[in-house]
Amino acid sequence: MSDRIQRTDVAVIGGGPAGLAAAAAAAEQGAQVTLLDRNPQLGGILNQCIHDGFGLHAFGEVLTGPEFAERYVRRAADAGVRLESNAMVAHLAASGELVWTRTSRRARLRAGAVVLAMGCRERTRGMIRIPGCRPAGVYTAGTAQWLTNLANVRIGRRIVILGSGDIGLIMARRMTWEGAEVIAVIEKLPYPSGLPRNINQCLLDYEIPLHLSHSVTRIHGRHRVERVTVSKYDEAGAPVPGSSFDIDCDTLLLSVGLIPENELSRRAGVRLDRRTSGAEVDASYMTNVPGLFSCGNVLHIHDLADWAAEEGERAGAAAAAYAGGTAQLEEEERGERTPVHAGDGVRYVVPQSLAAAQGRALLSLRVTEPRGKTKIEATADGRTIGSIAVRKAHPATMVQLPVEANGVAGPVEVSCS
Amino acid sequence: MSERVVTCILCPNGCDLEVHWDGEPAKDRVEVSGNLCPKGIRYALDELTHPERTLTTSVRVRCGTQRLTSVKTAAPVPRDALASVRAALVPIVLEAPVSTGQVVAENVAGTGIDVIVTRPVPRRTGRAR
Amino acid sequence: MQPKRANPSGDSRVSDVVIIGAGVVGAALAWSLSRWRLSVTVIEKSTDVGMAASSRNSGVIHAGINYAPDSLRGRLCMTGRQLLMRWCDELNVPYDVCGKLVVASAEDEIPGLERLRTLGEANGVSGLEIVSGSRAAELQPGIEAVAALHVPSSGIVSPYALTLALAEEAAVNGVRFHLGCEATGIRPVESGYAVDTDCGPIAGRWVINAAGIHAGRLAQTIDPDAPALYPCIGEYLILDKQVGESLRMSVYPAPPVGGAGLGVHITPTTEGNVLLGPSDAYIEDPDASWCSGATADVLLRDSRVLWPDVPTHLVIGAYAGVRSKRTPPEVGGYEDFLIRRTADHKRVVHLIGIESPGLTAAPAIAETVLGDILAAEEPLERKAESERVRRPWPTRFDDLSEPEKERRVAEDPAHGEIVCRCEGVTKAEFLHALSNPLGVKTLSGIKFRCRASMGRCSGGYCLPRMVDILQEEFGWEPDAFLLRGPESPAFAGRLIEETP
Repeated sequence: MSDRIQRTDVAVIGGGPAGLAAAAAAAEQGAQVTLLDRNPQLGGILNQCIHDGFGLHAFGEVLTGPEFAERYVRRAADAGVRLESNAMVAHLAASGELVWTRTSRRARLRAGAVVLAMGCRERTRGMIRIPGCRPAGVYTAGTAQWLTNLANVRIGRRIVILGSGDIGLIMARRMTWEGAEVIAVIEKLPYPSGLPRNINQCLLDYEIPLHLSHSVTRIHGRHRVERVTVSKYDEAGAPVPGSSFDIDCDTLLLSVGLIPENELSRRAGVRLDRRTSGAEVDASYMTNVPGLFSCGNVLHIHDLADWAAEEGERAGAAAAAYAGGTAQLEEEERGERTPVHAGDGVRYVVPQSLAAAQGRALLSLRVTEPRGKTKIEATADGRTIGSIAVRKAHPATMVQLPVEANGVAGPVEVSCS
Repeated sequence: MSERVVTCILCPNGCDLEVHWDGEPAKDRVEVSGNLCPKGIRYALDELTHPERTLTTSVRVRCGTQRLTSVKTAAPVPRDALASVRAALVPIVLEAPVSTGQVVAENVAGTGIDVIVTRPVPRRTGRAR
Repeated sequence: MQPKRANPSGDSRVSDVVIIGAGVVGAALAWSLSRWRLSVTVIEKSTDVGMAASSRNSGVIHAGINYAPDSLRGRLCMTGRQLLMRWCDELNVPYDVCGKLVVASAEDEIPGLERLRTLGEANGVSGLEIVSGSRAAELQPGIEAVAALHVPSSGIVSPYALTLALAEEAAVNGVRFHLGCEATGIRPVESGYAVDTDCGPIAGRWVINAAGIHAGRLAQTIDPDAPALYPCIGEYLILDKQVGESLRMSVYPAPPVGGAGLGVHITPTTEGNVLLGPSDAYIEDPDASWCSGATADVLLRDSRVLWPDVPTHLVIGAYAGVRSKRTPPEVGGYEDFLIRRTADHKRVVHLIGIESPGLTAAPAIAETVLGDILAAEEPLERKAESERVRRPWPTRFDDLSEPEKERRVAEDPAHGEIVCRCEGVTKAEFLHALSNPLGVKTLSGIKFRCRASMGRCSGGYCLPRMVDILQEEFGWEPDAFLLRGPESPAFAGRLIEETP
């Protein structure tokens, strides 16, 4: 039944905003596109993001996650993308051949180019090693969001949230709206990690205390969470003795970071950047493996779905060009040329190379710590190739920096001043 | 002179709006600074006089491929009415198929605002229940 | 909450053999006994088998280098390991004779290696060789050693798969399991003995006390001179399967003198993870399972001595198990296994102090006790092989070749849907785990049977999928989802109440 291997110009792995946009853009360039998404409904993580705040950049409207997703689903469908739901990619080879599977079918697909848009997974309690037993009632915020918004399951009644990133804040409000007591949000850093407006509409509106410079140092309860111990942390990141206090609760939600899901990529030989946990890509979003492109949360964690989608569009168009043989650069010319480095005050920059840039390129970056008025500059060959001034910069808010890539020979450094 | 800092929630910029006013806050008696766009001025005044929020929540679905759909108030409602809006939605069960934009409740809790569906749910075929 | 009693007056039948404890030893006993025409009942206080030390250890098949040849644990280790591998072959439980390096990090640790080699050779262990540091690094790249004892016959086995496979095959061959039933004492009655439990008394002609850390206390209810046991906790860290790609064999430190454990070691698992641990610390609570921050730091530090580049950023989880130590805290070290029967109660067998190499020795312990029963109960009839119902441990779908996977999907469409992304567990495997012969319906029970939620994302992907299947296809309501039992509910009802 699988002796006939199907073929497609561009295969997109993942049907969230980046994948949908990549597929639409590739198809709009004339490529034959197949999108594979493992969930029953397209939209990826957006289906459970029932809050609004999406679409301001892309559509000039304020949309909820599902509404935003539906726009891209329609666009992909209108562009003629073959959309496969309930389709999980089990294996990807560097050659662009992949194995995908769904109930009653396990099949192979050969693609001229592949766009990796698998999104991310959540950092777990086990990874951050919170001491204690392993009772029921410890959930990552995204899983809790799914259970709440899609399964109609109440995860608990008295909730402590570790992590003040947007997901944790949104869940603080969601659970409060649904009659749970959200007792406190705990944040290890001395500043909140989420957007200020979420601090406002999720915590301040409901008088939920936010404990900065604190973390959960023990989970109590053998069978179900009974309470958590919270301790203050100093600037060196060590717990302050004598600063601990306990909070009685039955649920601990963890919003402690997202990890790009690159298991498929790694096994296909894609080189990953330790700082982003995503692929190293050039200005066309191609990885070190020719024909494999990456975009969205699997490339680096985004805070705006709008920008994840736009990045998908760029990657999808490039993938279509590659598959159609119209890519500008020969494969041998790509790769190590024109590396882009994160300089002072910058945590990371994507893409990590300007190779394959055509004229202008867009650098996405994050700063290392919150700052007020800042100028972010990209320099190469002794001159500035792009710069942007912002009123305030925060690690939680991605910055986009357009640069002029034409004629750039040497390495590029992006830094704050 | 009264003053307050309000973080605007209208867009991800989250401008810190510095608001100054004398006596009762009203349109011509309020000074707003720190906004990147004009909407911030309106937002600041609203926050002071009658704060509003958009409610996004879930509503049950019968005979659909999922048991919940997501909904929103079509426009912001008074912040103090959020609890009544939610209570009004609890007993509602929609029948699949459900489409985006479909009205779930008109003039919910007397706010004058409708609640609409934000995620389609096709009708279930074949499965038990 | 429902009362615990399965049957208010207990199980009124008199079994030939009552086994207390369904860890790997109890399960091995049940399985061995199930081949004979005997009625066997197992009492287990947890909601599933193997939930204490049996699923919380290093999963090592010991070679026999740590024990005096005339010790019971030494002899049972040597006979046990052969039996264990044979049993695993029969039951299709994964194991691997991958070998071990015992590493001397300093010159003065080399005599300790030589002592192990001597002990091992006296036990009949073959292939032992003390190698140079550079040879050790050839055998296992990344290891830092001054010298090392290479133990090629040491291996690894999945301890929970073994326990489950033994127990479930025993169950389908007529052994009765009372799960969630806690034994509190043993007393003589007319028909033999009664084991008092919180579900009522359960009677048997023989009682085998395989209650692990509780065996000493239980023994004392009928045998006041039975020794006490001291709980000694061992914590572990679990590393991502990526790390397993680089680790070919277990790596142990030279044995710490007088320590209550074998020292922090680095062990691959049959699924491809890597374990760091265990620690050792005497504690009060015999049922403890907590992990501490300070110990995690020690595990990482001690592992780096053996393997400087051990990727500590790839920790995905932690667990802890409790050893049943006969030696009190002020003494430490190891005492021998004790298989105790008294003249007054010859048909009550207490298994006391079964810590390392308890897993390796389990089949031999079972056969020893079986031998005692057969000798006392002659003549006993062995069931014909044709009567035996086979229930082999299923080979993991993820371990099959691609053509075989395609074949399986064609045979059973539910193999096409992946429920656990990190472990590659299919819906068919999930359903198989759900329909186990022990009737266990907890999330933990499903987890240990099919590996769902044991991967790097700790159930982030698969919990929603399992909830979806159980709600939609099996009609489960939120309060049916229990992590380990009625005291560990996963949820708190519905978000929006569903009126009928």
